[in-house]
Amino acid sequence: MAVFRRARPLLGTLVEMRVEGMGEISALCALDAAFAEVAQIHRLMSFHEGGSDLARVHRARAGTSVRVDARTREVLACALRVAEASGGVFDPTVAFEQVARGNLPRPESPFDPDPKASWRDIELSGDAVILRKPLWIDLGGIAKGYAVDRATEVLVDAGATQVCVNAGGDLRIAGARAETVHVRDAHGRVEAVVELADAALASSSSATTGAAAHLHGVNRRALGGGITVSVAALDCMLADALTKTVLACGRACSGLFEEFGADACVHDARSGWRMLGEAA
Amino acid sequence: MLVRWLIPVGVGAASVAQVAHATQYLTVEQAQRAAFPDATAFETVRAKFDASALGVPAGWAPRVWQARAGERVLGTFFADAVIGKSEAIDYSLALDTNGTVIALEVLQYRESHGSEVRMAPWRKQFLGKTARDPVALNQDIKNISGATLSCRHLTEGVQRLLKLHASALAKG
Repeated sequence: MAVFRRARPLLGTLVEMRVEGMGEISALCALDAAFAEVAQIHRLMSFHEGGSDLARVHRARAGTSVRVDARTREVLACALRVAEASGGVFDPTVAFEQVARGNLPRPESPFDPDPKASWRDIELSGDAVILRKPLWIDLGGIAKGYAVDRATEVLVDAGATQVCVNAGGDLRIAGARAETVHVRDAHGRVEAVVELADAALASSSSATTGAAAHLHGVNRRALGGGITVSVAALDCMLADALTKTVLACGRACSGLFEEFGADACVHDARSGWRMLGEAA
Repeated sequence: MLVRWLIPVGVGAASVAQVAHATQYLTVEQAQRAAFPDATAFETVRAKFDASALGVPAGWAPRVWQARAGERVLGTFFADAVIGKSEAIDYSLALDTNGTVIALEVLQYRESHGSEVRMAPWRKQFLGKTARDPVALNQDIKNISGATLSCRHLTEGVQRLLKLHASALAKG
């Protein structure tokens, strides 16, 4: 059976999708639908775009109930779950500090975030979000993984027998055949090889120098140290979120990996390679 | 869920296995047909423009076609390439007669890491593999995680094409 691959620029990176086990017309329709789903998730959860669910939440006064799309709610629920399990090391409200550092643009909001606000001040109620204190939410560390999951589901539901969706390195593989994934560093060197079937893999690195992309949720310090981490999990949203907790606390979060049934492979210059979680 | 870490590659070994990645997604003709399924002809358009007035690099020469169904104009199709620090992306952009984007597709993606010429890409595919691993082109080893690709160059390329369309092609 033929293999169909497409790639489009979305989510600020190249999103590549591959399906097998389908006829040409149904494959192309399914790929179009899967890319449309990714674009829709981007629109809903964009930090920058004024029309996104997050933008509407940020514009609302604290205590107001704001209805959001079921998908936004699902991502927020996962973010809060990982935030709780990690004791706040993963915290989507670090957006405030990211804006202050110039890593994110200031959202259109009449309210300045409360510097003491954290993930605990986000309440989900039915299909609505309520902020108990003024705060800004950035789902950048998790929504990309979710988009990968949703696109995979669209393709599997359409009848594909083997699927790979890869959004700039955050990927998910569905189907009976195990596939090989190369984990590489910023210089293109292969750092690890992992074989996956019906699983997701996300990778992330902390800066060695210059601007840090990720912050520790509790002390809000920039994550440095030149650590590269890849997390394998059942779904890409979880894998994506867990990469940030490993960057923040390394081996100390291995309990988290047992809880979520995930594995991680971590590299830093001092200790070399280490496994975390079930495979450790 | 099956996860098997084949190699947590040692630091020393890591620098050996540098894999150049290249994927062809669509040919120009396939992308044309996908964007304009009703087209009966794609006529080459010679886009005349002043590079400095448009603010595009000198020598920039995207390929341009007009999609037609008989006498009716359906839109414009572009094929262009952008080159980043470590990658080259061939892509296509299809616009309807109002200049609205119908389709944006990556046709081909190639990595170089500056070593494309010196090392045969196919050879590098096999580095780090063991004999028991199935080596099947196009289906093994093509999945890559890690360093996130930026699509900045591609986005800039699309903006150049939209500018070209607005200034030079829409009138004619």
